[in-house]
Amino acid sequence: MNFTDFMSLMSLPPIQRGFLALIISGLGLPLVGVFIVGLNIYPLRFTIMHVALLAVALGQVFGMDPLLLALGLCALTGRVLASFADRPAGAPGAMGFFMVVAIALAFLVLSLGGVNANAAFELLWGSILAVRPVEVLFLCVISLTLLSLFFWKRRHLALLLYDREMAWCSGVPIRGLTIALYVLIAVAIAGAIRLTGALLVDAVTILPALAARNIGNNLTSIAIWAVIFGLFGNLAGFIIAVFLDQPLGPVLVLTAGCITLASYAYNALKGNHA
Amino acid sequence: MVQDVHLQVLPGEHVAVIGGNGSGKTSLLRAIMGLHKEWAGQILLDGKKVSTKPSAAHPGVAWMPQRQPRGQFPFTVRELLSAGGHEQAALNAARGLDIHDLLHRPLAALSGGQLQRSYLARALGMLSAGAGLLLADEPTAALDFSGQEQVAQLIVALPATMIVVTHDLALAKKCQRVLQMAQGRIREMTL
Repeated sequence: MNFTDFMSLMSLPPIQRGFLALIISGLGLPLVGVFIVGLNIYPLRFTIMHVALLAVALGQVFGMDPLLLALGLCALTGRVLASFADRPAGAPGAMGFFMVVAIALAFLVLSLGGVNANAAFELLWGSILAVRPVEVLFLCVISLTLLSLFFWKRRHLALLLYDREMAWCSGVPIRGLTIALYVLIAVAIAGAIRLTGALLVDAVTILPALAARNIGNNLTSIAIWAVIFGLFGNLAGFIIAVFLDQPLGPVLVLTAGCITLASYAYNALKGNHA
Repeated sequence: MVQDVHLQVLPGEHVAVIGGNGSGKTSLLRAIMGLHKEWAGQILLDGKKVSTKPSAAHPGVAWMPQRQPRGQFPFTVRELLSAGGHEQAALNAARGLDIHDLLHRPLAALSGGQLQRSYLARALGMLSAGAGLLLADEPTAALDFSGQEQVAQLIVALPATMIVVTHDLALAKKCQRVLQMAQGRIREMTL
């Protein structure tokens, strides 16, 4: 593909929407990764993916909008899981419980509803070219919310992510912040699944945060680097996928993976330990 | 486990709590902070019951913990000093404690003594912001001899109500009252 072909491809509305969605998600979703890594709640994203699958199954059976259903159900799951954050063992046990129950219910709903399961499982690999304007708008809203929350509460967030007890003793509203973070993470993941698919959503969330952790020296600089890596990874991945005529999801993940590996190499060269 | 503890600390009073490892000293401080969720009885701070609910605003207590660095990300001394209390007062305290040139260093990269000084600077910032009580857990641990003396002098000169858990008898002697904890119980003693 030459440059002229690329530009003519870019004039197509679905491609433009997908490109815009990637830029917007590159700005906001790496913060989700920063929060997940900071709170050490990696299993949450798997739980949310499974709950989203259940929502799509319910949407199919009951003829409701799967995105809206997924957002609502995932937000509710995030809210419930946040209430486990203060327990000594944390929330991972509850996350595992919700994950298996959600997937079991999804299979049951699909079976009882007698609908074609393929549409539900398309969620696993996503379809960026099928992104609707309303989904782009949603990504815009969630990215703006994430960025606003971060810069408004970054001092409280830094302390909360560093040491929950110390944050509580310092008057940080840890309960409210934790609920906000869990719900935002859940909703953002549910909204981003369409871009890369449930299996590859880490490309736009966790990987930029992991790469940024190797470069930044405090929460704010880590967040800024995560956004830079997320944006660059999405743009580079998109261009590479289009020029090589390959599926976008895997190319995005591999691009983000290369950036992450490079950050670890940089860190090793600096003599630091990640 | 701490049991049958009745302790009243007057405004401006300095109380040292000494005792062996596992005697309940740190548990006592954590209970006063509201960090222990399972306890019976009452803990009142300025006449108000201490809450253990994360949704409730915590009363103004400056906490100087004995705590290893935590978290998944680097957390700098500057972030620690600015994340609660009066930032400028904490920065001034950092200067007085000779850690001002460490502000951009992550807590995980500090020595034990530097970490203690950082927590103390933060606690002093919180006192300046209106916290009415200082709870210090082994404030002179991990410090060299001159550091121990410097921190002890600084702490006892503070015009604040404080409870200091310590193994440092020199520091305990500087306090107005000394309590000994053993097997979760507390008793007054003289040094």
